[in-house]
Amino acid sequence: MITRPSARGWKNTLVGLSALALVSVIAACGSTSGGGSTPSGSATATPSPCGSNTVLSATCDTETQASVTLTGAGANSIEPFFETVFYEYNQKNSRTTVNYSPAGSSVGVSDIQQATVNFGDSEIPMTSSQLSAATGGTVLQIPVDLGGVAISYNVPGAPANLKLDGPTLAGIFDGSITNWDSPLIATVSGVSNLPNLAIKPVHRADASGPGYDLEQYLIDTAPAWVTAIGTSTPSRTWPLATVGIGEQLNTGVATYVSQTSGSVGFVEYGYALQNGFVNAAILDAAGAYVAPTEASIALAGAQAANLSSTNFNVVNETGAGVYPLANFSWTLVYQKQSDTTTAIALGKLLDWVVTTGQQDAAALGYSPLPANVASLAQKTILEIEGSTGTPLFSS
Amino acid sequence: MSSDSTGALPREGGPVSRVRAALLQKRTRPGEHAYTVLRWGGAGLFAAVVVALLISIAASSSQALAHSGVGFLWSGTWNPAAGEYGAGILVVGTLLTTAVAMVIVVPIGLGTAAFLSELAPGWLAGPLSTLIGLLAAVPSIVVGLWGLIVLTPIFANQVEPFLASMPLLGWLFRGEAYGPSILLASVVLAVMTLPTMVALSRTALAAVPVADREAALALGATRWQAVRKAVIPAARSGIQAAVTLAVGRAMGESIAVAMVIGNRPALPTSLTAPGATLGSAIVNQFAEASPGLGASSVIALGAVLLLLTVAVNAGGQALLRSGGGHRAGTAGALR
Repeated sequence: MITRPSARGWKNTLVGLSALALVSVIAACGSTSGGGSTPSGSATATPSPCGSNTVLSATCDTETQASVTLTGAGANSIEPFFETVFYEYNQKNSRTTVNYSPAGSSVGVSDIQQATVNFGDSEIPMTSSQLSAATGGTVLQIPVDLGGVAISYNVPGAPANLKLDGPTLAGIFDGSITNWDSPLIATVSGVSNLPNLAIKPVHRADASGPGYDLEQYLIDTAPAWVTAIGTSTPSRTWPLATVGIGEQLNTGVATYVSQTSGSVGFVEYGYALQNGFVNAAILDAAGAYVAPTEASIALAGAQAANLSSTNFNVVNETGAGVYPLANFSWTLVYQKQSDTTTAIALGKLLDWVVTTGQQDAAALGYSPLPANVASLAQKTILEIEGSTGTPLFSS
Repeated sequence: MSSDSTGALPREGGPVSRVRAALLQKRTRPGEHAYTVLRWGGAGLFAAVVVALLISIAASSSQALAHSGVGFLWSGTWNPAAGEYGAGILVVGTLLTTAVAMVIVVPIGLGTAAFLSELAPGWLAGPLSTLIGLLAAVPSIVVGLWGLIVLTPIFANQVEPFLASMPLLGWLFRGEAYGPSILLASVVLAVMTLPTMVALSRTALAAVPVADREAALALGATRWQAVRKAVIPAARSGIQAAVTLAVGRAMGESIAVAMVIGNRPALPTSLTAPGATLGSAIVNQFAEASPGLGASSVIALGAVLLLLTVAVNAGGQALLRSGGGHRAGTAGALR
C-alpha cells in the first residue's frame, strides 16, 4: 500500500530527469548549430587569406568550411594535453569537434590499423610489422607532444625528489628491495630516515608507453633488470607482472599511488602534476639526479637531433640537466584520406596542435616540441593526400 | 494448445463441428504464419549466432592451441611480454574469486530473499527490493570504480591487516596488504551478483504454495523452521538456478575485476594476495591485438572461459538432478 506512491514517485523522478536530459540535448544541438553558422556567415563576408582552404599557417589552421567531427583513440598519457588543445581549438573553430578516447597506445595502433578512427595516437611509433598490418595504406606518424614519465611515490615522511638510480629502481620493481628503510635506498638517496614500510610497487596492467620508457631506462642502466626479464628489448607490456600489483591506465596507477601509503609507480608526468605527487629524481647519463619538470623534459627532447618514427628513443640522453625518462607521443593518420572535407579538418587541427597548441604544454606537465621536431611534424602533415592521391595542403 | 483442443473435439454433426471448423480456419490465418516464422526464425537465428560465435572463437584461438596444445589449459605462466601464454593460473584465479564470491553472496542473497518473501512487512519489502533492483542496473565498470576508489584504501589499511591478525584464520589472509586482491575482487563480484541471487531466489520462494507453509506451521514449526525446512527445500531448484546464474556472471566478469584484483598472474599465496582471472587478463591484453600468437592466446582465454562456464553449469545441473530425487516434497524435508 505504502510502496505504491513511492514507486510512482520514482517514475515521476525518472520522467523529470529524462525530460531534463532531452531539453539539455536540444539546447546543446541548438548551440552547436548556431555556433557553426555564425562564423561561416562572417567568413563569406570578408575574403579569407586562406585561399582554397588548404593552407596550413597560424591564421588559416583555425579556418575550415564544413562541420566535421573527428574521432581519435590512443595513448592515455597524452589525454590531459589533447583534452585541453582540442577544447581550445574548438573554441577558435567551432566547426571541428574532436572526440578522443584515451584507451591506451595499443588501442590507438589497432584502431588506426582497422581504420575505425580518423587518427590514432601512440607513445611508441608503430613498428614496421604493425605498419604493414594497416588496412588503409601508408600511415604517417606525427610527433605531437613531448612528455616525461614520473616515478611517483607515497611514503609518509619521505622528502620530495628522492634520489634513485637504475639498479635501485630495478630492485624495487623486481621485488628484491621490499622495504623503504632498505640500506640500498638509503645509500643512493642519501636519506637515512625513511620509514619501516613495505614497498608496494604498482605497474601498468595494460600495454603502455610509460612502461616501455621505464623499461628502456632500466635495460640501459641496470644489468640485474636484464637478467630478471631475460631480454634487452623493451616491451609495452610490463614484463614482471608477478611483482607488486598492476593497474589499468595512468589513472589507475595514479589512483593507487594517491591512496596507498608505501606505494611507488610510474605515470606520465602530466598525471603526476595533476595529482600533486612527489616524484623521484632519477640518475641521468650525465651522472646527475634530475627530477621531472617542464625544463628537464624539454632538455631531453632537445637531444633528439635526428628524430624519426624509427629513431624515436629519447630515454637516458646525455646532457646537463636532462631528465632521463622522456618521450614523444606520435599521432597516426593515413596518408591517403578517403574524404577530403575530413582530411582538411584533420590536417589543420594537427598543424595547429604542433604549433600554436604547444603553448598549452608547459602548464599541463608537457614540454613544447623542439623547433626541429615541430618542423618534422609540419612536414609530415603536408604529406596528407586527398582521395585523388595528390597532397592536399600547402604551407 | 489450440491443436490439442481441436483434436479432442467430436468429429461429426451439429454446432460443435462449426466450432471445429472455425478453429481449423483460424489455424490458417496470416497471424499464425507470422508467428510460426518468428518462432522458427528466432530460434534459428539464436542458434546460428551461438554456433557462429563458437566457430569464430575456435578458429581464432586455434593458433594458440596449436602452439601450446592442450597444455594451454593448465600451463602456469601468463607473461605476454615474454611470449609465454598459459591459462592455468588464470583458471585458478577465476575459480577462486568465483568460489569466494559465492561463499559471500549465497547466504546473504538467500537470507535477503527469504526475509523479503517470508518475513518483511510490506512497507519494507517494496522499497528494499527496489533498491536491490537498482543495484542490478549499476554498470559493472561503476562497481569496479567504487571498488578501486572507495574499497581499495579501506581494504589496504583496515580490512586486510585485521583479517591477517585474526587467530586461527589469519593464515588465509597473510602477506602484504596491497588492497587490490582476490578477496576484494570477490567482494565486488558478490555485490554485482547479489541482485540476481536475491531476485531469482525470491521468485522461487514466493512460488512455494502457501499450503506448504501452513502445513509446517500447523505441525508446530516456528517461522524460521518453516522457512528452513519447508519453503527453502521446495524452492530448491529455483535457488540453484539463481546460484548457477550468479556463478556464470561472476566467472565472466572482467572489467570490474581487472580494476580491483591487482592483475598479478601468479598462484595466489593467500586470499589477500593480488591475482588475475581469465576475464581480467582479457581486458588487459585485448588491445594488444597485433595479429599472431598474442591475439590468438587472448581469444583462447575466452574459449577457456566459455568451457569453464559450461562445465560449472553442467556440474550444477548434475548436482540438481542427483539431489532433486530424494527430497520430492515438504513432507520428506520435515520428517
